[in-house]
Amino acid sequence: MRSSGTRWLSLALLAVGCATAADRPDASRWTSRAIPEARGDIRTEPDGRRVALRYRGWTTHDFGRFRTYAYDDTRPEPPVQRVEMPAGLVGDPGRGRALFLNRTKGPCTGCHLVPGADVWPAGSVGPDLSTLADRKLSDAYLYQQLWDPRVVFPKTVMPPWGLQGVFTPDELVHLVAYLQTLRGPAVAESDPDRNPFTRRKPVGFGDNLDPTNNPGVLRAEAAEGLWSAAGPSGTSCAGCHPGGADKAMRGVATRYPRHVAAYGRVMAIEDFLSVHGPGTTGRPLPVESAQNVDLTMLIKMASNGLPVAVDTTSARAQAALARGRASFEKRVGERNHACADCHRPDRGASKFLGGRFLGDVTAGLTRHFPTWRTSLTDVWDLRRRFQWCMTPLGMNMLAADAVEYAELELYLTQFDNGKPMSVPGIRH
Amino acid sequence: MSDIGKVRLRVPSSIKAGDVVRVRCLVIHPMERIERDKAGKIIDKKYRYIDKVTVTYLGKTVVSFDTTQNISENPFFAFTFRATDPGKLAVTFHDTHGATYEGTADIAFG
Repeated sequence: MRSSGTRWLSLALLAVGCATAADRPDASRWTSRAIPEARGDIRTEPDGRRVALRYRGWTTHDFGRFRTYAYDDTRPEPPVQRVEMPAGLVGDPGRGRALFLNRTKGPCTGCHLVPGADVWPAGSVGPDLSTLADRKLSDAYLYQQLWDPRVVFPKTVMPPWGLQGVFTPDELVHLVAYLQTLRGPAVAESDPDRNPFTRRKPVGFGDNLDPTNNPGVLRAEAAEGLWSAAGPSGTSCAGCHPGGADKAMRGVATRYPRHVAAYGRVMAIEDFLSVHGPGTTGRPLPVESAQNVDLTMLIKMASNGLPVAVDTTSARAQAALARGRASFEKRVGERNHACADCHRPDRGASKFLGGRFLGDVTAGLTRHFPTWRTSLTDVWDLRRRFQWCMTPLGMNMLAADAVEYAELELYLTQFDNGKPMSVPGIRH
Repeated sequence: MSDIGKVRLRVPSSIKAGDVVRVRCLVIHPMERIERDKAGKIIDKKYRYIDKVTVTYLGKTVVSFDTTQNISENPFFAFTFRATDPGKLAVTFHDTHGATYEGTADIAFG
C-alpha cells in the first residue's frame, strides 16, 4: 500500500510540475481502477477476432474502426461523401419497409414516424415521414440523404448510413423504394400513443427518496455497514469521518466532480473512492463495483436537498469544462452522433427516441445519479449510463473512471448547479 | 443485513375521517431462500423468512397475511383500510425464527 501510495504522490507531483491549466490531462497517467468488465478492454481471440470485454448481456462487438471520446483519439470525423445511386437495381418496397423497422439496423423508426400499427415505438427526433412521397423528391436525392445527409444538411443529427456501412447500397435502394410509397392523406391515429408527436410524456415513478418506493434507498442504507466496518488496514471510513455518513459527508457531494490536485485530474465521488478507499482503509473499491456505487449513493444522500455547487470558475475547472463540452459536441462512433444530438434543446432533447423520452442537458441530468433502474432492478451510476449510451451508437466505451468521462460529467453537472441533489433517483 | 427488522411504514400525509387509506410498508429481512446440496436435494433446515404479517388498528386486527419464501428479500406490502377514528396503526412481521418486527403510524385527521 505504502509503495503504491508514494508512487501516486510522485506522479501527481510530476503532473503539477509540468502541466499548465490549459494542458490536456494525459489519460495514460491514470490506470483504470474499474472492475474488469467496466474498463473497455479489447481481447484478441486465438483466431484473431477482437472481442470487447463488457458487462454481462452487452454486445461484445469491437467498434475499433470508429472514433471515440478518448483524448488521444485524434481521427477526424468521416468526410462528407457525395454518391450516385447505383443504376440497374430495382427496389422492393416490402423489403425496404422491413429494413426501415429492423431493430438491428437503424432502426429508422427510432427517429421517424411512418404508417402502420406495427410501427412501435416510433420516435420524433427526425421529421414525420408518413407522407414523404407527396413531396415528389427524386430517388437520387433520397438515396444521397440515406447515404450521407451532410451533403445537404451539414449539421444534421442523422447518421451517414451508407458511408458508415450500416446499410449496403442494395438495402438503401429498397429503402428509397419504400419511402416513395408513403403517400397521403395521413390516416387518423386510433392510438394517440403510437404517434410520438401526440404521445403522453412519461410521468416518472413517484417519490425517489421513499424507501418503500425506491429499492435504491435500501441499498444505500445498507452501505452504512460498510462505512463503519474496518478495512484490512484496521481503519474505517467512520474512523476518520465521525458522526455518521449523513453528518460527516453533508455537502461534500455537491462539489463533485472537481479537480483533485493529489491525483492531477477531475474526479467524481466514484473515482475518488477507488483510490481513497484502498489508500486509507485498505479495502479495494473498484469503480462500478457494488460497494463503490453503494458508498457513492450513501455519500451523495448526505447532500440531498442541498444545491449542486461544482467549481466552474477556477482556471483548471474552466479548462476541464471546455474539454467536457468538446466531448459533448464531438461526433463519434459508427453513427457519427454527438451527445448533443439527443440532449441539446435545439436538437433531440424532449423528443422521443423510439419509446425513450430524451433528457434536456440544460435542465441538468446528473443530480439524481446513481439511480435505481426499474427495468433492470439495479442501481446505475452516471458512468455506466455513459457507457450504455455510447455502446449502441457503435463506439468502444472507455474505462468507467476515464478522465474523459469525468470531464464530460463535470460539463453535464454544471447545468445542475443551484438545483437540489436527490439521490438515488428512480428511472426506467 | 445489520438493519434486519427495520420497518418502514408510509401513510398519506393528510387523511380525513372515513377515508379509505392506502398504506405501504416494508421490512428489511433476508427472506432466506431454499438451498440445495450438490445432488440437487433441498437442504433441510429451519429457513428464516417472514411467514405472517398482521395489521392492527385501534387494537383490532384489520388484516393478516400468511406469507411464504416466495416473497422477495426486503418484502413490501401495500393494503387499504378505512380510517374511522384517530389512533394507532401497527404492522407486525413474524418470522420463522420467532422474531417479530413492528412498525407503527399515528392516524390523525387534519
